[in-house]
Amino acid sequence: MLYLVGLGLSDETDITVKGLEVVKKAARVYLEAYTSILLVDQAKLEEYYGRSITIADREMVESNSDEILRDAATEDVAFCVVGDPFGATTHTDLVIRARELGIPVGTVPNASIMSGIGACGLQLYNFGQTVSMVFFTDTWKPSSFYDRIKENRTIGLHTLVLVDIKVKEQSLENMARGRLIYEPPRYMTVGQCAQQMLEIEEERKEGVYSKDSLAIGAARVGGKTEKFVAGTLEELCAQDEALGPPLHSLVLLGRRTHELEHDFVREFAVDKEKWTSLWKAEYDRQ
Amino acid sequence: MVNFTVDEVRALMDKPTNVRNMSVIAHVDHGKSTLTDSLLSKAGIISTAKAGDARATDTRADEQERGITIKSTAISLYHNLEDEEDIKDIVGQKTDGREFLINLIDSPGHVDFSSEVTAALRVTDGALVVVDTVEGVCVQTETVLRQALGERIKPVVVINKVDRALLELQVSKEDLYQSFSRTIESVNVVISTYFDKSLGDVQVYPDRGTIAFGSGLHGWAFTIRQFAVKYAKKFGVDKNKMMERLWGDNYFNPHTKKWTKNGTHEGKQLERAFCQFILDPIFKIFAAVMNFKNDEINTLLEKLQLKLSTEDRQKEGKQLLKVVLRTFIPAADALLEMMILHLPSPVTAQKYRAETLYEGPMDDEAAIGIRDCDPKAPLMLYVSKMVPTSDKGRFYAFGRVFSGTVKSGIKVRIQGPNYTPGKKDDLFIKAIQRTVLMMGGKVDPIDDMPAGNIVGLVGIDQFLLKSGTLTTSETAHNLKVMKFSVSPVVQRSVQVKNAQDLPKLVEGLKRLSKSDPCVLTYTSDSGEHVVAGAGELHLEICLNDLQNDHAAVPLIISDPVVQYRETVAGKSSMTALSKSPNKHNRLYMVAEPMDEELSLAIEAGKVSARDDFKARARVLADDYGWDVTDARKIWCFGPDGQGANLLVDQTKAVQYLNEIKDSVVSGFQWASREGPVAEEPMRSVRFNILDVTLHADAIHRGGGQIIPTARRVLYASMLMADPALLEPVYLVEIQVPENAMGGVYGVLTRRRGHVFNEEQRPGTPLFNIKAYLPVLESFGFNADLRAATSGQAFPQSVFDHWQVLPGGSPLDPTTKTGAIVTEMRKRKGIKENVPGVDNYYDKL
Repeated sequence: MLYLVGLGLSDETDITVKGLEVVKKAARVYLEAYTSILLVDQAKLEEYYGRSITIADREMVESNSDEILRDAATEDVAFCVVGDPFGATTHTDLVIRARELGIPVGTVPNASIMSGIGACGLQLYNFGQTVSMVFFTDTWKPSSFYDRIKENRTIGLHTLVLVDIKVKEQSLENMARGRLIYEPPRYMTVGQCAQQMLEIEEERKEGVYSKDSLAIGAARVGGKTEKFVAGTLEELCAQDEALGPPLHSLVLLGRRTHELEHDFVREFAVDKEKWTSLWKAEYDRQ
Repeated sequence: MVNFTVDEVRALMDKPTNVRNMSVIAHVDHGKSTLTDSLLSKAGIISTAKAGDARATDTRADEQERGITIKSTAISLYHNLEDEEDIKDIVGQKTDGREFLINLIDSPGHVDFSSEVTAALRVTDGALVVVDTVEGVCVQTETVLRQALGERIKPVVVINKVDRALLELQVSKEDLYQSFSRTIESVNVVISTYFDKSLGDVQVYPDRGTIAFGSGLHGWAFTIRQFAVKYAKKFGVDKNKMMERLWGDNYFNPHTKKWTKNGTHEGKQLERAFCQFILDPIFKIFAAVMNFKNDEINTLLEKLQLKLSTEDRQKEGKQLLKVVLRTFIPAADALLEMMILHLPSPVTAQKYRAETLYEGPMDDEAAIGIRDCDPKAPLMLYVSKMVPTSDKGRFYAFGRVFSGTVKSGIKVRIQGPNYTPGKKDDLFIKAIQRTVLMMGGKVDPIDDMPAGNIVGLVGIDQFLLKSGTLTTSETAHNLKVMKFSVSPVVQRSVQVKNAQDLPKLVEGLKRLSKSDPCVLTYTSDSGEHVVAGAGELHLEICLNDLQNDHAAVPLIISDPVVQYRETVAGKSSMTALSKSPNKHNRLYMVAEPMDEELSLAIEAGKVSARDDFKARARVLADDYGWDVTDARKIWCFGPDGQGANLLVDQTKAVQYLNEIKDSVVSGFQWASREGPVAEEPMRSVRFNILDVTLHADAIHRGGGQIIPTARRVLYASMLMADPALLEPVYLVEIQVPENAMGGVYGVLTRRRGHVFNEEQRPGTPLFNIKAYLPVLESFGFNADLRAATSGQAFPQSVFDHWQVLPGGSPLDPTTKTGAIVTEMRKRKGIKENVPGVDNYYDKL
């Protein structure tokens, strides 16, 4: 049987009891380590789970899934995913392939950034479509997220912006040459994300948001060092130091807010007076 | 002694109306370098005695040894037109004073080096086309003329080696006239084929003085104008009238003392004026000198008012002949006069050349500077080639100032061929260390150089690969990249004998690539170092340079191999589909063959990636039968963004499509550079993207997902479209006497060649044979031919076209084509069998 086991958001102890049981008795344990990362390293996980773990990088999951599914019809294979297996990143393809091979599939859910972000104080009910922000290059600046945010904001919903991580990627040149040489890992910060958002607004000029739009930067959600910083997009461009190491996410506020939310988030604000005055002016209009 | 100083030259540069930039171009062995010698001797650069033998512009040892020019060489000359009357004959352009600066470039004639000709033509405005009297217009004459006209270079012609016709073939005057006029006619046929409206009619006419006749070896030449000037005084008629009379069907009837168009008098044939007034004295001199008739010689000398030194007078035979004719009609005078009177100055030429030179809009400051040849405008300088310096590994950047003034020490923007305005790719901002004047093998330092001149630059070689644009304007676009008429179709791999020399080889390859406009060097994935050139000779010269000069280490050089191209013979049997690694993105595509005519147009630069897409769509629809919608949705050309393969978007309303365009294009460039059959470049394949499904979120459709997928779907569609290999084919022109023709046919047949044209040169026993010969079969062809014809046949091979390699499917290793593929794959160190379509095609 193939088990997709959610590991939660922060460290080794976030795994559920059910998940831990699966991991302990499985014949092989894989850790998917390219769509997100835990805040602790592999050795710590292995020690806690009492198992050795195989890291499954993008290469393996996408191009070499046969190895993961080997003998899974007769023995248990645990495929551990940071967050929730069917949360932000979908592993539906692996499930489909397992089904084709007649392998039964079980899932152990866990917390995901999609739910964990509630800790910033905004009601999860009022979130719209989630979007991702990729690292822009000179020639590649996908701006489809802008249209999604526009849709969300038209009906007053918040937008959760997930940011790019590149754990083990080839450079374009190496890919074209077919060389398996990988770039050092890169994690996008809230500051970079806010900047790229403003860059696209500058380009599209549809007034979906502005440098004075309110947003919340979140770091290491669900972890012991969880940190939130609230402010305008412009302010958030310069808050990377306050937020600290990865992983980061960003929430762009919609106008559908509650005063409780205001009181809660105000504590995180860079400039509390400004936060309140902007809130009064633009938001707070259910 | 050189009869001018650098200061004089520098002063003349400020008068661009009195500058002539010209290249000497011709078929191999028609006598360019020899003729150039006579110009140099006039300028005092070499002694008169040596002129004709020195080949002073062949500066390299191997050039002297082989007796052919390999690299083009530039030299500046200073000339004073003595007669005020002459100045008046400069029509259609301004002149300032009687002194002229001639920047001359002697170029190679062998086809293998025609990239050097291209580089020379780019920096000049006029061309002196040299044609052999006996051999006439040959394949390379035609090629260089076509190249020249393509660059809007105005030609003048000199018919060379007239001494051969007289001494070896012993032709009569009328025969010689007929031979001249036939040659001129064939030159004009070529010129009119490539008629360009902006350049106007540039056909050449003896009676307008745009053709000279002479002998480089003996150092004499004349134009009809020169004789017209002499006779005009004698007959007391207008010079221009006289010029007309001295060519064509014009006769002077000595009985009636009247000019007539009618060639007979009382039933007797009259001698045409050209023969009577021009050829007659020359023939008489030949006859008298070669038959050692001393009395006659003396009378002739007196009649022609020629004074010889006592020392010269004592010479005999050919030596005396040279001296007499050189004094009577010196080559340099005729050529210089022809060039100054009829070739355009930079001011004139840049007016009509600006639009073919510049990529940007015609109304920006750079374009206007070029058009006006303005020394005060922003600098626009095109570096057309790199010339090795005495300092090993360093190069002079050789080029032409089209606008502004280049000075030592100024900071310039160095824009490589891939630079696009507003971006930072392929751009350096560096200072020019020194500017120099190129004088054959030597250089002279010079402080600055204004628009319209040819210059050498020190200190920027490491920022340019082979060629590029230098400017001081931040908004300037590039000057157009040169299109070469030859392509590197023959390659050899090199390796070092001693492993520790490897770094030297790598460095040497870099230098080699810089020093030659056309050579291609690269390292394959299997670590093999490859040098590709236009032909066997070109490669031989390059590898010699590499071994002895650039790398200076012992090398092991493989046998030559041919570069193939991969193409398709049909349309994909079904729609190819590939899924991205994460399976969330799918690309659907088909491949089909592209029209050969369109491929040729792309390779010739007539249809290019840089064209305005609407204008290009119009051309594709009108001339190549494309659907306009398709033609407007060409995503890119490839490989390298410019090759003859196209990627066309035929999708309907796909969301986010533009966000993956870049990645698909990258995949296409990659795939078209290394095709699925043998990792050879693709050619003449059109890919249509039929449909695309994408993940909603950008993070799941980045380059890492799309690029490999694009490559796989391209491969799959190609493998399902009846893939084929194209082999390069040479056009071989062979000149051979009748008795040795059998040998030529024998050798050609053995090597899969086929003759498609055979013509006798009128008045000679020589035959001109034209044949197609696969490059694969051409290795050792010259030696073979020499053996079979006892050295009487002279072949010239130039790449002509691609043809499908016959002998079965390249995918089946048991066929002949398949065996070649296997061999190629083995050499490249990749799996010997061609991976099947299943490796690239994903089922739904």
